[in-house]
Amino acid sequence: MARSLLGFLAFLALLGAPARSQTSAQTPARAPAAGERGGPGLALLARKVLTVPFEGVQFVDNAVLLVKDGKIEAVGTKAETAIPAGYQIVDLGDRWLMPGMIDLHSHVAGTFDINDMVYLCNPGLRVSCSVIPENPRFKVAVAAGVTTVLFIPGSGVNMSGQGVLVKTGLDRYEDAVIRNPGSLKIAQAGNPEGWTVGVGRSFMNFDLRQVLRRGKAYAERWKAHDASSGSEAPEKNFDLEIFRALLDKKAQISTHTQIFQVVLTTLTMLRREFGFDVFIDHGEMAGYKLAALAVELGVPVISGPREVEVPTRTFINWTGSNPEAILGIAAEYQKGGVKMLGFNTDAPVVPEEELPIQATVSVHYGLDDSQVESVRGLTIIPAITAGIAQRVGSLEPGKDADILIVTGDPIDPRNTVERVFIDGRSVYDIAKEKRRW
Amino acid sequence: MVMRAPAVLCLCLAAACSAAGRKNSLAPLPAGADGVAILCGKVLTVDDGDQIFSPGMILVRDGKLAYVGERKPIPEGYRQLDLGNAWATPGMVELHSHIQTGGWGDINDMVIPVNPELRASAGLRPANPLIQRACAGGVTTLFGIPGSGTSNSGFGVIYKAKTSGTYQDVVVRDPGGMKIAQSYNPERQAGDLGLTRAGLWYILEDLNHKAIGAIREKRKDPALANLERVHERDLPVLIHCAGSDGFPAAARMWKLEYDTRCVLSHGCFDAHATAPWIVATGAPVNAGPRTMDYVVTHNGAITGTAEKYLKAGAKDLSLNTDSPVVPQEELFLQGTVSARFGADAYTMLRACTIHPARVFGIADRVGSLEPGKDADIVIRSGDPLDPRARVEMVLIDGAVQYDASHGQVF
Repeated sequence: MARSLLGFLAFLALLGAPARSQTSAQTPARAPAAGERGGPGLALLARKVLTVPFEGVQFVDNAVLLVKDGKIEAVGTKAETAIPAGYQIVDLGDRWLMPGMIDLHSHVAGTFDINDMVYLCNPGLRVSCSVIPENPRFKVAVAAGVTTVLFIPGSGVNMSGQGVLVKTGLDRYEDAVIRNPGSLKIAQAGNPEGWTVGVGRSFMNFDLRQVLRRGKAYAERWKAHDASSGSEAPEKNFDLEIFRALLDKKAQISTHTQIFQVVLTTLTMLRREFGFDVFIDHGEMAGYKLAALAVELGVPVISGPREVEVPTRTFINWTGSNPEAILGIAAEYQKGGVKMLGFNTDAPVVPEEELPIQATVSVHYGLDDSQVESVRGLTIIPAITAGIAQRVGSLEPGKDADILIVTGDPIDPRNTVERVFIDGRSVYDIAKEKRRW
Repeated sequence: MVMRAPAVLCLCLAAACSAAGRKNSLAPLPAGADGVAILCGKVLTVDDGDQIFSPGMILVRDGKLAYVGERKPIPEGYRQLDLGNAWATPGMVELHSHIQTGGWGDINDMVIPVNPELRASAGLRPANPLIQRACAGGVTTLFGIPGSGTSNSGFGVIYKAKTSGTYQDVVVRDPGGMKIAQSYNPERQAGDLGLTRAGLWYILEDLNHKAIGAIREKRKDPALANLERVHERDLPVLIHCAGSDGFPAAARMWKLEYDTRCVLSHGCFDAHATAPWIVATGAPVNAGPRTMDYVVTHNGAITGTAEKYLKAGAKDLSLNTDSPVVPQEELFLQGTVSARFGADAYTMLRACTIHPARVFGIADRVGSLEPGKDADIVIRSGDPLDPRARVEMVLIDGAVQYDASHGQVF
């Protein structure tokens, strides 16, 4: 029986083989379009280009943006920028250009199995295995202009594993992934308490500290070995490999942290005590009262999903915060001196496509937007925070051509993203398909 | 984008007298009168000519608007209130709101399906916290109504969103109008008639015939007195109706059959599919709280409902929040969302101000900044439908009700 089944399968395989090769022969690879890798150059003419570099002038009016081989080649005024021969020229009239947006707190890059909750600390787990590059939620996200996300595991336990930085609008994982590991996810408190029969703040901090110490010691042993030739290599421990990336500043810790005491622990334990690159990735509630300490320790703040502190006397009261007015979280961090200030959605908590609205809400509740802090918080700030600014986050020569064509100011929700490029590829175009968002 | 066309208009219309019939007055303030001259960067009058004055000036005299127009020398006696570059717009008008009691409760008396004898004004708590937030969001006049748990839940009250004051200080009209729930909520679960649309239709027909009979026979029935005023076109009726079934059903009954001053409220789900027919009946639409449809029609695209009604030629389209379903202070945001999904942004400002005032017969007092009207003025840092702009000050009947410089609420 088994043999006949094997034979049948082999027969099927024989039948299938020529059919497959025939199909691939019938669909030749299409010629790369203007702007794509290997294609001709692309020149986009727009009323305003929000270039948002980390420093310097943030926009160019009446501008030309040149794209070649999936990268940004040049950006400047129409008067000063020569368009090379052979470039496809697209005049966008009154429209604006901006970099693709970046969300550093997202759970919608694939399947939702993001909480492995047997142990409290799981530094070895990787959420990259759950990525589905063109999933339905990404289809809407890219239509809203979100082109890069940090896909991270959940906050069910203190250390739920490693996130991965991926682009949204691409169909192959190899094209989509920017960096793996993207981060080590730590949930300082405010969810992992529910683990098994319940754990308290003091045990969680004790347990977390043990793992961090083991991990850092492991990474330091490897560093010493790498520095001295001939020494005996330490034993590989895959559970702790992520700490080598953290020690070398090749990855950061993204923390689910929000209320005063918890943010204080994030800043003092993860940053001051262990010296890792860490960012507040769930900036909400009364954590803003620690803005000055975050600035002192160089810890960026990614605010959201809750962008406001409301005057209610519900559970929020135990944070010690009970303002009389609705406060904008980002505005309060900004008043406290934080300049490395971005926005997240914690999608699907807030839908991924509403990332720009997080910035709108923040401006509504008092964020000073005079230096386009709103757009910066969606682009260059998260790019620098996650250590990927050499590739994304601004429209500067040499960076990936992740470009949005918007009908106007992207922070005004009456405007619409009309077209999205990722790596110079047109991945969404409302002129050619139904508007998704 | 808001002011391009009207900016031209304002030049030719500035001297013309206003739609309210009263003329701008630059006369000195009479002795004993209270007056303030508001100077601001831009005045959006939202009047018939859509005049915009930039920079502008508003004179408020004893709670009413005396002058709305370009900067002129301030007449003698007026205090000056210089608001810099801020924009002045009319206070917004909400026709579908349940916050008069201060929360969810006390709006559904559900023992029997028709209650023309009930009045929401009995539950009005002026200046309650939800009303205070509405004011801070730029909403100044509200039609506070009972819920949609029964087919006819009673009569609503029109009041102002003042942040202090008594019932007498805030009420504009009581009863302000009737509330009907055509379907999608009033379905009876009590074992009596009305589990289906057919039952609900019969219940309302039966009620209307009683009222028409009472009018014909000049019979005094206190329970029907207000309903008679609806049939005599003295009071408007706001109808909770949605979907491509209930929405046209409401127009058939209340517009085509009884020719009442009906306003079709909600118009959610796939009701927009019937927009051309609805508009042809002449029944005005009050869209919201759901201002887009992407679930019911299953066509894979997001449809802005306001845009559909506008495209079908709807005049006097207004927007609602159904607060607290959508928070009352977010009425402007209904306009923003509608603009995002295709509706003209400036028309959406009209949909939150003059249109609802007009369809409810209170445009002689509110809905636009014109001489003679109530001085209900919202001062914003910028475009009223841009959520980045904040409400800086709200005046109702000429008195400052909210001032963000004393602590921003919303």
